[in-house]
Amino acid sequence: MPNIPFSQLLRQLPAGVATLEGPELRYGFVNEAMRALVGEDVDGQPITARPGNLPSALLDVLPQVFATGEPYVAKACLCTPQPAEKHDCRYFDLALEPYRDEQGQLVGLLLLAIDVSEQEATRQQAHELSLVTRHLDARLRVLTETAPLITYSLDAQGRCTYASPQWYRFTGQPPTADLTAIWPLLIHPDDRLRVLYEAETARRAGTGWNYEYRLRRFDGQYRWVLSRALPEVHPPDPPVYWHGALTEVHDQRELADALRRGEAEVRFLADSIPELIWTATAEGFTDYYNRYTTDYSGLTKDELGPTGWVSLLHPSEQAEAARRWVQSVASGEGYEGEYRMRRQDGAYRWHIIRARQLADGPVLRWFGACTDVHDQNLLRQVLQTQYDELARAHHDLDTFVYAASHDLRQPALNLRGLFDELRRTATFADPDQALLLNMVDGALTQFDATLHDLAVTVQTQRAQQDPVEVLDLGLILEEVLLGLRPQAQQREAVLDVDVAEAPGLVYGRANLRSVVHNLVSNALKFSHPDRPPHITLRSYFTGADEPVLEVRDNGLGMELADPNNPVFQLFVRQHSHIEGTGVGLYLVQRIVRSHGGHVKVTSTLGEGTTFTIYWTRPA
Amino acid sequence: MKHIVYISRAVRPLSDEDLTHLLTQSRRDNVQHGITGILFYSHGNIAQLFEGEPGIAEALFERIARDGRHSHVQKLIDRPIASRSFAEWSMAFHPLEPAGFSALEGFFLPHHVPALPETLSIADSMLVELVRLAVFGADPASPPQAAPPVPAIG
Repeated sequence: MPNIPFSQLLRQLPAGVATLEGPELRYGFVNEAMRALVGEDVDGQPITARPGNLPSALLDVLPQVFATGEPYVAKACLCTPQPAEKHDCRYFDLALEPYRDEQGQLVGLLLLAIDVSEQEATRQQAHELSLVTRHLDARLRVLTETAPLITYSLDAQGRCTYASPQWYRFTGQPPTADLTAIWPLLIHPDDRLRVLYEAETARRAGTGWNYEYRLRRFDGQYRWVLSRALPEVHPPDPPVYWHGALTEVHDQRELADALRRGEAEVRFLADSIPELIWTATAEGFTDYYNRYTTDYSGLTKDELGPTGWVSLLHPSEQAEAARRWVQSVASGEGYEGEYRMRRQDGAYRWHIIRARQLADGPVLRWFGACTDVHDQNLLRQVLQTQYDELARAHHDLDTFVYAASHDLRQPALNLRGLFDELRRTATFADPDQALLLNMVDGALTQFDATLHDLAVTVQTQRAQQDPVEVLDLGLILEEVLLGLRPQAQQREAVLDVDVAEAPGLVYGRANLRSVVHNLVSNALKFSHPDRPPHITLRSYFTGADEPVLEVRDNGLGMELADPNNPVFQLFVRQHSHIEGTGVGLYLVQRIVRSHGGHVKVTSTLGEGTTFTIYWTRPA
Repeated sequence: MKHIVYISRAVRPLSDEDLTHLLTQSRRDNVQHGITGILFYSHGNIAQLFEGEPGIAEALFERIARDGRHSHVQKLIDRPIASRSFAEWSMAFHPLEPAGFSALEGFFLPHHVPALPETLSIADSMLVELVRLAVFGADPASPPQAAPPVPAIG
């Protein structure tokens, strides 16, 4: 059927060609290429007997194709007996084409086999590549869409071609939003122009950008974000896409602002306080002076420098202040000193300089302040001077009193002597004159007693510095009473001493004796004429553990304006008919008061008096 | 005439060899340029006071500031002075091997550093004392236990 030159052509065709004749589909014409596929010894054999490397799937469809007369094509069939290696696989496109005789009867099938191994290998490679690509793409997508970052892409005209899901979550915009139109509207109006300008400039220059702006969040709040982008470069072509990322930096910016504000507030505070305030590093170099300091000194911070404050001090004090500062810095101990600091007008004013080391975060810093105490110092000096003068005047007065009383004693003694002599030798006719003599006698006695008591007062004054010791009350009271025995016996006095509750007292010996002597002596002196004096001395503790001495008598009693605050004035006497000088109670009160105690008196005229000495409780 | 005081931190601790080298080289250079003063070094802490003609002193400081062997250079004082306080240039440091340094002239063990010259104002003397304290620690007879931190001023 095929003519010979044509069959030669066919035979040499690089594609496999064969005819399958009759219902048994026996090989008829088989060209070289087909023989390579099905084998050499096939002529006249049915195809099912000699399939060669043809896939079984093809053999299965043969009867159907012959029966229906429909052409059949199978692409990229694997036609290798046992593929040893992947690259040994041969793939063929197989086609079955029925052909008919002149009568149109189906007489056989034309089998075509085209080797598509290379294409198949390429296709498989492409397939594998696309798998890898899909994998990488999926990975990138997951990373960009789950990271806390907004990523985006813009084209060279500034149109937004992509924004990651985080953008939509942040802005609250629907997925259908027109990014290019909406995005600029979400930028804070104050930042919009700047952002658009910078992005446009970068696009023109083909570079990336890096700026911060406020972006409107889904809840309407504007949050500071940092936007950075880089162009996608494929030289030599200009960039077509820019890819970028957006991070929120709101909290950091707020923190930085807050820190700056906080610092400004602290500086403002420090500047408003009218004291010289400064801080220094842990090594002792001053790095901050508040405004008051620069105003006071008239020097700028740079002029003062890290140690310049020392030069503000009075020249004679600089060395010591400097030495102490170095010591403080070395030991970390607080610094305190009082120095004169020069004001800008040249005047030196006293200041107390104090500094302490405190932890400023992880770092140690010195915080110092200089307080102006000039006026207080002056005042103190004035007061001190006045006090000294007062003390001196007081002392002079005492000395005068003492001297006077002392100097007067001799003349008084002389008078006494002369008078006694006169009394003895002179005779007076007039009986009235005898009375007069008695009166002169009394006056002289009184005079002597007064001088004596005055001297005692001054001495007591000096004995205020009596050393305090633990005293045996019982013993001392006995001693004092012993000294008063003549007067006691004379009046048939009964004296009771009860120190069981508080036998001891911490006090000055001489002062205690003086107090007790005066009180008992008074009690004896002012006894009631109708009865023998009964004096009880009792020592006890109050509920608050304070020592008390009570001296009770049954004598004349006295009138008191304010029993809780009895005022015993020197020489003021209650019972003028009884001899005395009025010095005793004044002395008692003075001694008790000057040692932190007070005297309480209760008395009923005609019945008796009780003195209560609170040794340690002030009035 | 002016004087400059600065402190800094060595990038790598200087060995005794480095210190000897520094000493001899600096002395040569400084004598040539009329620079006098004193350098303190201890366990990475550096401090220097030097005096000289303004132009020369400033140029020297520029060179020192750029030297890569130290960082955190902080100028504490840069002021004109009436006259020199130091007769020559010397160094004080804690050598790792004290024995080898005893012969070197112009070098002092920290506790042997002579008293500061009278001509320094008290403010400047105090500054040098504080600088010395920062470099050597409280007890200059022995090296500091831990290097004291470099002060941050400004």
